[in-house]
Amino acid sequence: MPTITEFINTFWVGSIYFLSAVGLTISYRVTRVLNFAHINLMTIGAYTAVLLSLSSPVHVAFAIPVVFLVGGIFMMAVHFAVYSRLMELKATPLVLMISSMGVWIFVKFFLYGLLGYLQKAWKVEMYLAKPRLIVGGEIKVEGLTLSGDLFTALALATLAAIFLYVFFSRTKTGKALRAVADNPDLAEISGISHSRVMYITWFIAGGLASLSGMMWALFAHATPELGDTLILQLFAASVIGGLYSVPLTTVGAYTIAAAENIVIATLHETIGLEVSYRPFFAFFILLVVILVRPPLGAGGGLPYRFKVLRRLMRR
Amino acid sequence: MITFDVIGFLLSWFTFFSIYAILSMSLNLEVGYAGMANFGKVAFYGIGAYVSAYVSMSIFLSLAGLNYPLYSLEATMAMVKLASQNPMLNVSVFILTLILAFLIAGAIGYVIMYPTLRVGPAFFGITVLSFGELLRIFLRHYEPTGATYGLTGIPHPFAWIEDVFVKNLLFTSVTLIILILLFLYAQRLVNSPLGRTMLAIREDEIAALCMGKDVPKVKGKVLFIGSGMAGIAGCILAYYIGSINPNIFVPTVTFDVWAMMILGGIGNNKGAIVGAGIITLVDRATAAINFVFPGLIIDPNFIRWMIIGLIIILVLLFKPAGLIPQTYTWTPAWKIVKPLEEKAKRRREKLLSPFKKISKWFLMGG
Repeated sequence: MPTITEFINTFWVGSIYFLSAVGLTISYRVTRVLNFAHINLMTIGAYTAVLLSLSSPVHVAFAIPVVFLVGGIFMMAVHFAVYSRLMELKATPLVLMISSMGVWIFVKFFLYGLLGYLQKAWKVEMYLAKPRLIVGGEIKVEGLTLSGDLFTALALATLAAIFLYVFFSRTKTGKALRAVADNPDLAEISGISHSRVMYITWFIAGGLASLSGMMWALFAHATPELGDTLILQLFAASVIGGLYSVPLTTVGAYTIAAAENIVIATLHETIGLEVSYRPFFAFFILLVVILVRPPLGAGGGLPYRFKVLRRLMRR
Repeated sequence: MITFDVIGFLLSWFTFFSIYAILSMSLNLEVGYAGMANFGKVAFYGIGAYVSAYVSMSIFLSLAGLNYPLYSLEATMAMVKLASQNPMLNVSVFILTLILAFLIAGAIGYVIMYPTLRVGPAFFGITVLSFGELLRIFLRHYEPTGATYGLTGIPHPFAWIEDVFVKNLLFTSVTLIILILLFLYAQRLVNSPLGRTMLAIREDEIAALCMGKDVPKVKGKVLFIGSGMAGIAGCILAYYIGSINPNIFVPTVTFDVWAMMILGGIGNNKGAIVGAGIITLVDRATAAINFVFPGLIIDPNFIRWMIIGLIIILVLLFKPAGLIPQTYTWTPAWKIVKPLEEKAKRRREKLLSPFKKISKWFLMGG
């Protein structure tokens, strides 16, 4: 049977996945770029926290805005340098996706090189670091320690959810984002600045993703491969939301976290499945979602929903 | 002073060039012609390599009547002896595994198509990318193929030749011949009706569907061929380096192939080969730099990967068509129409030339 730790980890990891996947969903909806550079953001967020707390421990309340700003500004810079220019050239979503892959590789190995240099210059272990953030609020219940990191992750996820809800339903900017997501041409005619909306979207998506990277570094470690190891989980969570809906993405994030913690712990005890097969669950969920409830129309798909089934039934 | 082995360098470059040229050509068929963003090329490459290593080693060991597990040290030691005994067996096993790698990798590609045929390129990309990553995780834990250590002692098809130089020369020329055959096949494929259907799907999937083309079926076919070609490349790699392990087949290999294809030109088989040539040359050169100047502050490998990322971005930004842009399709009809069109053009110019002279006269002001 899964212990209480697995349930706690589900909420903890689920919140981290939510913070990151929601940014992916929003940015895909508004900008039509399937952003592989989103993966870098988590690494950047983690290492910003590491560098902030290199000489002396820093309180988490100070680290959060800094990390958010760094991630947001990084993503805006990427948009300025690459995506906005490609959008001006009327590039297809496929080309934008490929260019985001180029950004991903470039930034990943730039970080590798930079961290390797810092490691040699400052004599600090960089490839496996942990941010030294001061997080208060540790609670001990019946021999179980609930760390402050867990509460920070939960609080951040809740705050982000509330912020997004208010932002998209009450503010004028949020409504402009939704308008651009639904119909960019109509929004342009109505006087909404396309480029401004893009920059705001990237700022929010980048900030949230880098925060989730910082939280993941507190949960595990910061490595240059941090984002790459989580890519499948993030994309699976977003696909459950159809790259379309923020509430469904939330469901997806917590479902995948549950499958990776509770289900695998149960299977490990009953049939002796190795824990390192963890990513297979996310892939399995991804395939099931694509087969059972394909996000039609999203990503340039075709409406062949029941064509294959019908052909099988005819035989 | 280290003497630089020019011929050895060329031979190793040509072998890697043909492996990567096959890969980038197959990716070009999928992306450049059918518009399917395959981010998991490495999966089919790995499948081809593992299939050929597994099949060839088991054939050799079972013919010798040895019953070691393939990954064991005894098997590796026995393979060294067995590989140089029977020339006919070596070559026929090589040909058999080439065919098997093509078929098995292609079949897996066809199966992978099924869940993704209804969703767009974005979802297809994600699914295939994660498939490649999961295959690597699976191989790292799968005992029969040696888990993390992989398989060692794959019998070189020309292991019976004593002279190392002749052996390598023969192998490199065989890989180049395979590359040329696959290139001719790909050229013929893209100029066929199937190739034109692929182009139609790339340009507008819905229009192709409305014209009565079975889009999922065509996509499945293309993925079968593309994955099969990647399997052949993996097979050649397995025989060339003689031992494989899961860490060769990391996702970054896929990006290498993408950079080659984008640099050479999307939708052009010649471009894919040119791109592969340039990037493998840079790659071999960096390996040489790493060997000559060890202990640089920043690892040259990281710089090399940054350059790969930059190539993808910059080519898409400033030269989206690549080095060799896509040209018209050489159909039989076009072969007839092209001379006629040129003839008409010449005639038009001849007719218009007096008027042009007059207009020039007016423009010059008398």
